[in-house]
Amino acid sequence: MSMSDTFHVEPRGDLEIYITRGFDAPRELVWKAMTTPELVRRWLYAPEGWEMTVCEGEIKVGGRYRWAWNGPDGKPALEISGENTVVEPPAKLVHTEAMKMWGPGFPKEGMNLGELLATMTLTEEDGRTTMEMVLAFASKEARDGALASGMAQGMSAGYLNLDAMLEEDAL
Amino acid sequence: MVVQQPGLDDIFHALAHPARREMLRQLSHGERNLSELAEPLDMSFPAASKHVRVLERAKLVRRRVEGRSHVCRIEGEPMAMAVEWMEAFRRIWEPNFVRLDALLEELKQDPKNKRGDR
Repeated sequence: MSMSDTFHVEPRGDLEIYITRGFDAPRELVWKAMTTPELVRRWLYAPEGWEMTVCEGEIKVGGRYRWAWNGPDGKPALEISGENTVVEPPAKLVHTEAMKMWGPGFPKEGMNLGELLATMTLTEEDGRTTMEMVLAFASKEARDGALASGMAQGMSAGYLNLDAMLEEDAL
Repeated sequence: MVVQQPGLDDIFHALAHPARREMLRQLSHGERNLSELAEPLDMSFPAASKHVRVLERAKLVRRRVEGRSHVCRIEGEPMAMAVEWMEAFRRIWEPNFVRLDALLEELKQDPKNKRGDR
């Protein structure tokens, strides 16, 4: 079974999105890959054709991080930044996340898409790690903004797969 | 009469329950009546009806009454919208995770990262 089979996205309550993904590695390594800026840079890209221009962060309580990307036209397209509020290696990381996006019809200085609180936990069994992530939006406006931007980014690939979304729901 | 557009709010709420997601999955293969939806979920008729009502409110499902049977069908547009953002989310994230898988393989090969050497 490929590990991507274990990737689920689902709404939880009215203001949260719950995501899980399995990784075939011990959690110390998953933690390292997810929190070391030089390593984050190697996997955390936005959509095809985007270039990561800023990837920095301080993994400690109160530490700030910032990720930014240019779009295919070479202009700023997306910036995500925030503060780490819980840091418990290699089990738990909580940070705030503010998203800013540029694009046609958006103001020059970018549009703020609202804040969310991301809680990531890593659990390990038999050398494999399960990542669980809860994205909790501050408000319905923030949620809808993030969803709208997700849709805008995803739209280009333009296909629907109902089964993929609905199958194997974690109860 | 003012036709109200379903909000993301209603859609989000409707999708947040596993039973309702299972109903949508059933309905994605074609029309089903209420008992057909209730059965695999081991659910009473009234309980299933309640879930269908939430789906109706989100305009994800439409039901019509034929004799004694309540026939449900999926509504294309709001469903497409709901599925689109879920799928968009997966499409954006899955390539990230596939790259992360590859990076983790590499880290596992590095003797510095072997367990017990820490």
